[in-house]
Amino acid sequence: MSHVLLDLKACLKTFVRNKSTIFWTLAFPCVLILIFGAIFSQSTIKTDLYLQNLDVVDGEATYWADTLINALNSTDAFNLKMVDVSLNATDYAIEKRLSSLIIIPQGFNDSANMALFTHGSSSANVTFVYDQSTTSASIVQSIVMGIVERMNFELSRGVQYLTIEDLTIAPKRFSFIDFFMPGVIGMTAMTTSIFTAVSTSARFKENGVFHKLATTPLKRYEWILSRTIFNILVSYLGMVVMLVIGVFVFNMKITVDAVSLVMVAMASLLFTGIGMVIARFVKDPEGADAAANVITFPMMFLSGTFFELSQMPEFLRAIATVLPLTYVSEGLRASMIFGQADQAIFNTILVSIMGIASIIAGSLITKWEDD
Amino acid sequence: MGEDVAIHVENLVKRYGDLTAVNNISFTVKRGEIFAFLGPNGAGKTTTVEMLVGLRKPTSGGASVLGFDIIKEKEEIKKRIGVLPQSFNTYDRLTVKENIEYFAGVFDSCPDVDGLIKLVDLEDKKKEQFKNLSGGLKQRLGIAVALVNDPEIVFLDEPTSGLDPKARHGVWQLIDDLHDKGKTVFLTTHYMEEAEALADRVGIIHNGKIVALDEKDALIAEHGKKNMLVLRKADPKAVKVIEKIGLKANYDEGEGDVIIHLNHAVAVSDIMQALSNAHVSFSELQLKRSSLEDVFLNLTGEELGKGENSE
Repeated sequence: MSHVLLDLKACLKTFVRNKSTIFWTLAFPCVLILIFGAIFSQSTIKTDLYLQNLDVVDGEATYWADTLINALNSTDAFNLKMVDVSLNATDYAIEKRLSSLIIIPQGFNDSANMALFTHGSSSANVTFVYDQSTTSASIVQSIVMGIVERMNFELSRGVQYLTIEDLTIAPKRFSFIDFFMPGVIGMTAMTTSIFTAVSTSARFKENGVFHKLATTPLKRYEWILSRTIFNILVSYLGMVVMLVIGVFVFNMKITVDAVSLVMVAMASLLFTGIGMVIARFVKDPEGADAAANVITFPMMFLSGTFFELSQMPEFLRAIATVLPLTYVSEGLRASMIFGQADQAIFNTILVSIMGIASIIAGSLITKWEDD
Repeated sequence: MGEDVAIHVENLVKRYGDLTAVNNISFTVKRGEIFAFLGPNGAGKTTTVEMLVGLRKPTSGGASVLGFDIIKEKEEIKKRIGVLPQSFNTYDRLTVKENIEYFAGVFDSCPDVDGLIKLVDLEDKKKEQFKNLSGGLKQRLGIAVALVNDPEIVFLDEPTSGLDPKARHGVWQLIDDLHDKGKTVFLTTHYMEEAEALADRVGIIHNGKIVALDEKDALIAEHGKKNMLVLRKADPKAVKVIEKIGLKANYDEGEGDVIIHLNHAVAVSDIMQALSNAHVSFSELQLKRSSLEDVFLNLTGEELGKGENSE
């Protein structure tokens, strides 16, 4: 461990003494936050919610079905999209890769009335179909559950009306900057880690520092561990700077909990490993930056950093599912903004597994000696 | 293998596809000596050093350093050697002192850092970052770094390549100091004068093969030309005078010089006496000693420094 700390100290001294590196490492995400924040800080995010109402009489929604639909509409959190009653809604959701869909069954109104008259000994059910891998589905689920629970509560007290304004469990409304901030924090962890790993490795390979290190008792894994810790610290530094801007400039209310900190650390681990693997195939420092760009640039745009995945075309969504940054962004949003602990932990575990695998691959593939 | 052997190399081969960089070489380096591997660029010097310090795997053959096998006991060797790679580089933004401390930490050793800085004469640069040092000063720092673990053997790969004459002589002085401290020094160079100035023994390597290996004076005596006495702007009749006392001489019409090929049978004082007696006039007298350059030329048919540009 002493070798790791020794190299980490050297890394940090090098970083602190390189003013331009500090500036550019922190400036890029800050500029993004400021520009996008200034443009979109007032806009709110609406999630698509598909709904199939099978409880129809003479072409009109029944009373309770209509009440539920109005309640969903009045939250202003959804773009409500109706699904034709002739379709099998579940198959439709699978086919169209929908993140969330509600089915109001035939007889819902009668069931609700029955529940009203029997004081809750029976119940009226709606079916919620969702893709649990998406953060937005969890949010929709929490809102819908809140509405339905409240509705049942009101029915059991015999009150005949329902207002969404009374729903205390409805999550806060999110602005674009809320959505954007965790994405940029994840993106910064990615760019910092990949670029540092690739460019340092390429430079050390070319100028012979790796050769020198290879003649010492320093182990490769010690060096890589030190570089990983360094990348984690730089990612945390970027996170702090961005959060300060978010809170003081855009008045964001963001949560930084243990899960989000672990996620940033694991993301740095993951992308340092990926950087080491890329570096193995790069011949010189000039090629290093190009290679890092080829990896990071598409990932930046296809992983839901800037736009919600549900807004992207289907084939791009499919690509996003294989990009590790997607899970970093989803996990950070779940923990920092939406308060979805299960989603946050699920994504953090996923990123941790990928991170450990990539750092092992990076350690094995990195070579200081020649053939 | 005796205890006085620092490095033992046997039938070492390194191939890259069809290219044989090191071709079945064998040699021994004694403890405490400066051993120079002399040859042009591309001869196989660096490849040999890199195999000995664990940076490359031999294709066949083997070697031991301080009794440890270079493949199986690499880690043991690393602890006991110091290496100055060709064109030494290190952490750019660490100072001279910080770099020495870094490598000392890597070796878990506690050297006298200020003493090392003094040894390489970098006291006034110890707070200077590596990136701001000149080529010569970087090499000096590289030597200091190579000594942080008080190594038994120091490998110096082209330590003065690209340095100006003043910086080069500074590095030579350092290498001499290492010798005085009893260190074994394995030096590679393509500078003939460097090998002549520093080495106890010289191995001449050409196209991956060792073409000669011995103490430098023995190499010159065996493979060099004889020493020569040159009479500048001399009377041509000097040739006959010299031949009468049993030596070979010839007249260079272009330069107007008489060249006398010396041997041990006739003393220079006898030559001067004979020339004086015959009233032979000349403007200047020059003694030309044979060098390792002549040895290399004689053995390979090539001049040093006319090889390929890379190892």
